[in-house]
Amino acid sequence: MPAPSCHDAGESRTAQASSRPVKTVALVGNPNCGKTTIFNALTGLRQKVGNYPGITVDKREGTFRLDDGRALDVLDLPGTYSLVSSSPDEQVVAQVLRGERADTAAPDAILAVVDASNLARNLYLVSQLIDIGRPLVVALNMTDVAERQGKIVSASALSRVLGCPVVPLVGHKRKGVEGLGKALLEAKAPQRIEYPIDERLAEEECRLAPRIAAIAQIDPEKARPLVRRLLADEPSSDLETFRSDAALSALLDESRARLESLGLDPMQADIEARYRWIDEVTAEVIQTDGTPRRTLTERADSVLMHPVWGLFFFAAIMGALFVSIFWLAAPLMDATEGIVTVLAERVGEAMSPGPLRDLLVDGVLAGVGAVVVFVPQIALLFLLLGVLEDSGYLARAAFLMDRVLSRVGLHGKSFIPLLSSFACAIPGVLATRTIESRRDRLATILVAPFMSCSARLPVYALLIGFCFAGYGALTQGLVLLGLYLLGIVGAASISWLLKRRVLPPEKTPFILELPTYKVPQASQVLLQTWTGTRAFLTRAGTTIFALSVVLWALLYYPRLPETAALLTEEAQNAAQIEYSFAGRLGHLLEPVIAPLGFDWKMGIGLVAAFAAREVFVSTLGIVYSVGGAEEDATQLLQAMQADVRGDGSVVWTPLVAISLMVWFVFAMQCISTMAVVRRETGSWRWPLLQLGMMNALAYTACLLIYQLGSRLFAGGS
Amino acid sequence: MVASAATPSVFGNGSSTGLDRLEVGARASVESVSGERSVRRRLLEMGLCQGVEVELLRRAPFGDPIELRVRGYLLSLRADQARLVTVAPKR
Repeated sequence: MPAPSCHDAGESRTAQASSRPVKTVALVGNPNCGKTTIFNALTGLRQKVGNYPGITVDKREGTFRLDDGRALDVLDLPGTYSLVSSSPDEQVVAQVLRGERADTAAPDAILAVVDASNLARNLYLVSQLIDIGRPLVVALNMTDVAERQGKIVSASALSRVLGCPVVPLVGHKRKGVEGLGKALLEAKAPQRIEYPIDERLAEEECRLAPRIAAIAQIDPEKARPLVRRLLADEPSSDLETFRSDAALSALLDESRARLESLGLDPMQADIEARYRWIDEVTAEVIQTDGTPRRTLTERADSVLMHPVWGLFFFAAIMGALFVSIFWLAAPLMDATEGIVTVLAERVGEAMSPGPLRDLLVDGVLAGVGAVVVFVPQIALLFLLLGVLEDSGYLARAAFLMDRVLSRVGLHGKSFIPLLSSFACAIPGVLATRTIESRRDRLATILVAPFMSCSARLPVYALLIGFCFAGYGALTQGLVLLGLYLLGIVGAASISWLLKRRVLPPEKTPFILELPTYKVPQASQVLLQTWTGTRAFLTRAGTTIFALSVVLWALLYYPRLPETAALLTEEAQNAAQIEYSFAGRLGHLLEPVIAPLGFDWKMGIGLVAAFAAREVFVSTLGIVYSVGGAEEDATQLLQAMQADVRGDGSVVWTPLVAISLMVWFVFAMQCISTMAVVRRETGSWRWPLLQLGMMNALAYTACLLIYQLGSRLFAGGS
Repeated sequence: MVASAATPSVFGNGSSTGLDRLEVGARASVESVSGERSVRRRLLEMGLCQGVEVELLRRAPFGDPIELRVRGYLLSLRADQARLVTVAPKR
């Protein structure tokens, strides 16, 4: 039933059939519709991930090789529920499809991926894609899931009502993928669908159509859809020219006011008209066997989402995740470290002494070592997160945790990135990509480094070993737990403050779809592990490596004059480090950090910690001229205890060690994290805010602890 | 359970209530969606149109967010947004 035409001027609605050969295809679909699986099935590993300039949205492209040797370029657009955007990701989809982006050519055809088990809501996006007027093919995915729910979707019937080819698929089995190529090459733009709409709204549309047609220089009949989008006050960028027309805006306002007085909202009318059409379509194309059945997802959720058992399983799953990334990764990390050490020894033996050898061994190889040592842990983390995400559990975790996290200004989906940050903030920051809301994502990124990462553990271990030497393992363990909790408290308070004072207000509502559970696919999970680990290596690894080399130079130059020959090699090294740029920097820092209880030696350690926090321990080892401090801290601890200032006072009091621990909990010292934050947020503003905010907090906390503490102790003794 | 400050709808038959106030296991039919335009648009687009049937499946621990079945899929909303959806409970 078509809507009444304005002039009854015959049917001018010929499809904009472009005879252009199809070379590029855009992949579009709802989140969780299996779009990425289809993209992987089409392109295999022939894909590259880039960025849309100016915004932090991933641009994934690949090549689909057809049986006859021809190839299609496939662009995987971000998952979206609608072409009317509520986030930068969604905005990209509409802009690319309408050909509005200078950086991306409009695709020749659209491949819409539709979840057959959730047809109604998926068809809403399809209804908008038909309006775009480009050749369209629908991939009917997850037909197996639908069948298990007792629903058979007829692809031929759906193709008839949509007016475009519909190819049934089971994406993860690559079933039906071959048929897609042929359909895409022959695709035509489907005819627009006229949704029956209230005639009073149709009247207003007719009144405005000629005006719009004149501005857009198109046929008045074709202007009708534009009028409706304008009346609905759609915020899309392609309507900008019309919105900036003052006379037209006035007319639109009048129309809206008239409709409002009739109790009509064009936006609601349009969405509901589409859903009425969808209800008719689904009734026609879905055959149900009539027996309502309890699906696997429902049965699983009755346990996993149970108010009590759900939390129990959540704790167990997260506990297992946490333990695995430390215990399972530990032997692999040790092995990696061992290989690098052996390699460094070999190179050291093979080369003659000199700056070049030192650069290679202590700069380059140490730098490579600092990067690769984290790789097993980070790969394992991405692997486990991939399994959780692909199974559908990640959304459940977010559901269970949302209340607690929203209290401190975060999101249910912040939980996993924050948990990951206990291994390393970099995968944590990368994992925030699942958070749609920009504000929640920023808040999560900004507080992620408060989680004590594994690079801080050696520092904590040394300082706890120093401070609580006489106490048992239980006390030492509790202190360590306390440091972790302190970081969490810091994160909660800062995110609460950020949400209130700093971050822009949010417009996107909290909407969380709970997808059907499925068995994670090895190929999907491994691909994700690879992409994540590669992102760590390229985005953080390069920074860590470069910093290690710079740090080496800071510790190595300028060289100590030859005249000052000292007794032992260790003493020579210690003298050299004090003479170096880093040593001078330590002295330079001393007035600033003295109120916190730190001396210049710790200053050198703090400078060195900017490459990676655990370097603090080995640097102190060099400063105190003890070798192998990372493996066995006994000698270093003795040297620390024996260290006295010129006036005979002890350098390392327990209070100093506590102050230093608190510094390491709160301070932002990781340049590679900052580099990744810049990339993920698209501006230096946020990493710099993070640096300022965290270090100000660390400085204030340490100042209070040391100053108050030393007064209390002085008064007491 | 966390009580919310939903205002009862001025329309409907008097038994209308906010979606957040529905009991677990109850079904209802959507009457209207209010709230800021972009939020309202997204709720409608997710299929919460007038007349559609929703079922409240469960509440998260601490009462918020809630999980619904709408148009055959599972959707979770915070009480803040669920309150914007006025529904008529079904017997």
